[in-house]
Amino acid sequence: MGELLTVNMGPQHPSTHGVLYLELKMDGEIVVDCKPHLGYLHRSIEKIAENRTYTQFIPYTDRLDYLASMNNNLCYCMAVEKLLNVPVTDRAQYLRVIIAELNRAISHLVAIGTFAQDLGAYATPLFYAFRDREKIMDLFDSICGARLTYNYMRIGGVSADIPVGTEQLIKDFIAYERKMLIEYNELLTYNVIFLARSKKIGILSKEVAANYSVSGPILRASGVKWDLRKEEPYLVYDKFDFDVPVGTNGDSWDRYKVKLDEIEQSLRIIEQAIGGIPEGNPVSKVNRVFRGTGEVYLRTENPRGELGFYLVAEGGFMPYRCKIRSPSFSNLSVLPELIKGLNISDAVCVLGSLDIVMGEIDR
Amino acid sequence: MITILLKGAAALGFISLSAMFLIWLERKVSAWIQNRMGPMMTGFQGTLQPVADTIKLLLKEDIVPTGVDFFSWWLAPFFVTVPVVMAFLVIPFSRNIFVLDLNVGVLYICSITSVCVLGIFMAGWGSNNKYSLLGGMRSAAQIISYEVPLLLSVLLVVMQSGSMSMQGIIQAQAHGWFILKPHLALAFLIYFISATAEVNRVPFDIPEAESELVAGYHTEYSGMKFAMFFVAEYTNMFIISAIATTLFFGGWQGPFLPGVVWFLLKSYGLVFFLMWMRWTLPRVRMDQMMSFAWKVLTPIALLNLLVSGWFMVK
Amino acid sequence: MLLTNIKNIFIGAYSICQGFRVTFKNMFKKQVTLNYPVVKKSMTDRFRGMVDLYPEKCVICYQCNKICPTAALELEHKVLEDNKTKKIVKFVFNGELCCFCGLCQEVCPTNAIFLNKMYEVSYFAHKDLLEINLMVHDKYKHVDGGIEPPLYHKEGDGGVEGGVK
Repeated sequence: MGELLTVNMGPQHPSTHGVLYLELKMDGEIVVDCKPHLGYLHRSIEKIAENRTYTQFIPYTDRLDYLASMNNNLCYCMAVEKLLNVPVTDRAQYLRVIIAELNRAISHLVAIGTFAQDLGAYATPLFYAFRDREKIMDLFDSICGARLTYNYMRIGGVSADIPVGTEQLIKDFIAYERKMLIEYNELLTYNVIFLARSKKIGILSKEVAANYSVSGPILRASGVKWDLRKEEPYLVYDKFDFDVPVGTNGDSWDRYKVKLDEIEQSLRIIEQAIGGIPEGNPVSKVNRVFRGTGEVYLRTENPRGELGFYLVAEGGFMPYRCKIRSPSFSNLSVLPELIKGLNISDAVCVLGSLDIVMGEIDR
Repeated sequence: MITILLKGAAALGFISLSAMFLIWLERKVSAWIQNRMGPMMTGFQGTLQPVADTIKLLLKEDIVPTGVDFFSWWLAPFFVTVPVVMAFLVIPFSRNIFVLDLNVGVLYICSITSVCVLGIFMAGWGSNNKYSLLGGMRSAAQIISYEVPLLLSVLLVVMQSGSMSMQGIIQAQAHGWFILKPHLALAFLIYFISATAEVNRVPFDIPEAESELVAGYHTEYSGMKFAMFFVAEYTNMFIISAIATTLFFGGWQGPFLPGVVWFLLKSYGLVFFLMWMRWTLPRVRMDQMMSFAWKVLTPIALLNLLVSGWFMVK
Repeated sequence: MLLTNIKNIFIGAYSICQGFRVTFKNMFKKQVTLNYPVVKKSMTDRFRGMVDLYPEKCVICYQCNKICPTAALELEHKVLEDNKTKKIVKFVFNGELCCFCGLCQEVCPTNAIFLNKMYEVSYFAHKDLLEINLMVHDKYKHVDGGIEPPLYHKEGDGGVEGGVK
């Protein structure tokens, strides 16, 4: 073994999703060691939370994991509702489930598209995924007015009711997306080059995953059947019938396939929920000035894993401390274990399959 | 003598026009496959886009990095472009339109396009950049490995037609194109895959794509030097399609329309297929690519040669 | 062993052909993009563009100023000689700090402040973006684009009645 080469897969790079700086030590073309340097996107969101009221902080939670904004909003609002004992109307529960599952579907589409791009399928699966994503973003645009940072959930419900005609649009989307999922399978999933590039690459065993507290689709691809929507049901998830897809080997292909299957399961949940939204108010009529004491930790199932909010309140209008447990941070910590001994091309494949978002790693 | 010079000049003119057309075609085909529109604002449906690209490349600053190896770095674009241009000497556009009809035409083309490897390697070495060097070495290994199946499949065509000159091969297809015979259809498949690897197109574009870390052998070039690499790649694509047309699809033969039109239609059809392949398939890894060349393509080509040779002798 | 290899080659080739079929079908589908700027898309009814104001409706309650997460709204008023009527002295919107969350249009009790439909917002000078005077009626005339408020904001068309209070 000669001397090791230190290579900077620097903060700006086409294949790292965001500003991630990986310092790789390589022996020829094989990676021997990897050290991630974080903090290039740090915006001190947790400190800002100590100086904003509970409602004012909701736009900041949008910008944590910006690909799944609705789920972030949801987790924060549920944490505040548990802390301050704010009731939620039934209609709001159903609307929240539908919107959260739609956001899960489009977040997984981005993961699939960018994974294919990292492997070299230049832009075509990415554009197809974004074409499907546009339909839902237009829908969200008509519901709440924005396409990426929604600021839709409020403490006690949602900010506005869905306009007339939304249910039909969602039903059309479900039928359309089912056809597109068949296309993705034909174009990418069973393609021999794709299989050769991603099977048996970056195998994550159950024990290592549990030790690094990995969560989300990555954990499920390693064979552990753990989904917070089934283990600790929140909102009205216990009323719906859906499966939890589990992988067999824990390699990159399994992580990709689990995400594809989860889109189908999300469509199933939405289909069941659309039929029976109860009438009522979209937000509960309580005093909109929130204050209280206590501490709470609440976790929900984000598209990327388990997002947790730890809130401490001491009687004022603003929380005393807000700590965010982000799923991508724990998922990224398993990267040095996985890429030891792999080529550079395989290292990029593993990083793409882990599906991290720097916004929530650095906060 | 004068006629040959004039014909050469006409070939050069054709190369420039063809490169511009191919740049436009690539962007439009990628746009259609991806459900979008492509260039629309520069001229009708973006037809003046290559002109805009050329003007932009002409006006760019010519950056010379420090420490480059003078002769390697400066001459590399020429070593890549000149062989490609010289290959146009023997391409038969029609029964009467060609520059020269060498009686070793096929051998000439295969040998002259191999000189491109030298240019790529010089670009990688001269750039004083360890990542360019890695990219150049990978590219050299790739091109040299895929020469073997390429030549084996071309050899079969030469055996079938009995002559090495381009016009001779076309005459031998007067009673039926070679693609319609099964052993030659297999040879066409092997030829096409090897030729894709020769010009560094997806799925074999490891040296030139933003290959994850290394930025490729032409990273240190800017302005017109980069344009020369670019033009050489697109013209190379056209050349291998033209050779495939000549060897397997009957060249300029066809009913009603004049020969030139048929030749261009068939060649650009194959170029379109190359572009279609680019926007569909992911990239293969380096070691998988080499094992594919040596363990799959070469044995199949050899077997094909053996079996069809035996049938021909019988 | 050899037979499985040959079978694998055929399966691999078939999967590649399937991929080709998908992209070929997509070549003939309708395009999903628009030829901007020749063709422009109109925004949805609830789209959150730039902050806009009907000055005659404002009751100077300071709710929008207090709820803004980034302190992008500055408001000052003075009381006239009869000690009863209030008059706005300065109402300035900082386009750089605004995060377009829409909380100000939710809390306004008289629906005076709202977010309009403008999305083509560029200024030539930085200071023009820092101090947009909301009291002027033609503040956004240099860009075209809709300046209407959202429907649900006005008379409870499905939204929270009268905004979140």
